[in-house]
Amino acid sequence: MADTVFLAISVLTIGSAIAALEVRSLIYGSISLMGTLGGIAGYFLLLDSPFVAMFQIAVYIGSIAVLILFTVMLVRRQLIFFKVEDKRRRYAGIGLMLIMMVSLGAIILSSGIKTIQTDAPPIDFRTIGADFLTYYWPALILMALILASSVIGALTLARREDMEDDQRTN
Amino acid sequence: MSAIAPKFRFSYFLKSVLDNVFWIVTLFTLIGIPLVMILLFYIELPVINGNKLLDPYLALTTLADPSRQIPMLKSIIHSDFFRITAFPGFGFAALLAAATIFIERKMLAKLQLRVGPFYCGKVEGILQLMGDGLKLISKEIIIPAKADKPIFWAAPVLFVATAAAFVSLIPVASGGWVVADIDVGLLAVFAVIGFFPVITVLSAWSANSKFPFIGGIRALHQMVSFEIPLILSVLGIVILTGSLNLTEIVQSQDHYWWIVFLPIGAIVFFIAILAELERIPFDLPEAESEIVAGWLTEFSGMMYGLVQLGSYVKLYAFAALFVVLFLGGWHGPMVWPPFPEEIIQNGISMGPITLHLPGLPLLDQQMLNDVLWFVIKTMGVIFVILLPRGVFPRIRIDLLLHIGWYKLIGLSFVNIFIALGLLYAGVLGPGGIL
Repeated sequence: MADTVFLAISVLTIGSAIAALEVRSLIYGSISLMGTLGGIAGYFLLLDSPFVAMFQIAVYIGSIAVLILFTVMLVRRQLIFFKVEDKRRRYAGIGLMLIMMVSLGAIILSSGIKTIQTDAPPIDFRTIGADFLTYYWPALILMALILASSVIGALTLARREDMEDDQRTN
Repeated sequence: MSAIAPKFRFSYFLKSVLDNVFWIVTLFTLIGIPLVMILLFYIELPVINGNKLLDPYLALTTLADPSRQIPMLKSIIHSDFFRITAFPGFGFAALLAAATIFIERKMLAKLQLRVGPFYCGKVEGILQLMGDGLKLISKEIIIPAKADKPIFWAAPVLFVATAAAFVSLIPVASGGWVVADIDVGLLAVFAVIGFFPVITVLSAWSANSKFPFIGGIRALHQMVSFEIPLILSVLGIVILTGSLNLTEIVQSQDHYWWIVFLPIGAIVFFIAILAELERIPFDLPEAESEIVAGWLTEFSGMMYGLVQLGSYVKLYAFAALFVVLFLGGWHGPMVWPPFPEEIIQNGISMGPITLHLPGLPLLDQQMLNDVLWFVIKTMGVIFVILLPRGVFPRIRIDLLLHIGWYKLIGLSFVNIFIALGLLYAGVLGPGGIL
């Protein structure tokens, strides 16, 4: 069962990733990008970590893909893109991707991933929280500072000095 | 004589209806019932108390003896299929959504000293909604010539499906009356909410028309910017309960509701709900006096009906989420009367016949009481969501974004600090004095 689901998710993820690159329509390309991101959320669900999967969906599909979609809709693509059908570039890209994937795979395989127990019970998100507060506290504080500064930045951007306009009352 | 259908006679219509009824009854008797009998031998039926739920040889005797149907009904009620389609799932939500549409029209009319729907169904226009549904089904679906057809067709269906996924996460009564009881329920809710702006803006773009596109862009601005206060305002509850599971959040409100301790969070959450639902005063994406009907402009017939159904199911789901998070969910005093004992023990006597019905209380008293309180609270919240429609004007988009990014986010941080103060003062939360 899990193998079938894994295969289905893999086909979905890789297929929509290729479609995201190859489809001529930008909108359909970003929809297939959403398919890829959703497929990755499916992998997280298969790996017994629904917490990460839900964040993957909420952040990547709910925010980032929407941002891309929004940008694509406001762009007139003739102005910034012109088609370059170059066979050599495409093969160079494929070769570069293969080299990257082989080297990344070698690094991951040699990092001790084979010794992981596959039948371990899923980790509760409360354990993740407790770990963040004890062992990984510098990372937590760093993340908190980054998030706080971005929220303050957002508040500052939202606060604008209104132009004096006689036509309008606030 | 009608110009559209010159050969139409009401008697022809009746004849065709009767013809269809005749053929359905005939075919069902000749083919359907034998087919069901044959299929019953191949279906694995659940075994209860050592007996098979339904003996295929005696299948048709259940029609004559109602007491044989009770175990079947019980097993259907507790099956996943029933949960997803009927009770805590889509059917229940769609029923409440339909009631909401009718209540909205009547209430708005009363607020404006009008009558509202009146003639359909004689009693206060109670059948108006059914009439509207029939009208929508029979209308032609018109698709703009330059529309992007796959997305345009898919958008209404996806909208309803997303709303149904949202509904499936809401717990309705104690004892596991929820479709999907997952550990990270609150996060799953936000993951599902994230799909609404995508669907809205895609359908707006695919119509290839000015008004839907403007409406879609407005909807995108509004939904994306109000999702942040929506998420931040419930963080206080997550801090105090230490759980993301919605059922556990309801159980934690056994003695007091979170709205008592976190009123600011409740207010922020309510305003964000109004914006997410595109209700007045935040109905810019559908502003009918400015951009026709916003992102719904090009939809017609049942496609429009599906979008409306989806948006009212979404309204129910948000109101139910408010009840679950702030108003104590299903908790309330026991007011449901117990099932009469003498029917369980002696059966029902009608003259010479006595009908014994063993195992009768199909649903226990606690569950029915829970559902009663849940529905009462949810309808109350829906009423408060509908009420601004008769009172407030639409607000300008820069003020809307100002409220979302500036005031509501600030207030939700105040709410988080109140929750943290209550937690660290030892008042609430795990090991608190209350």
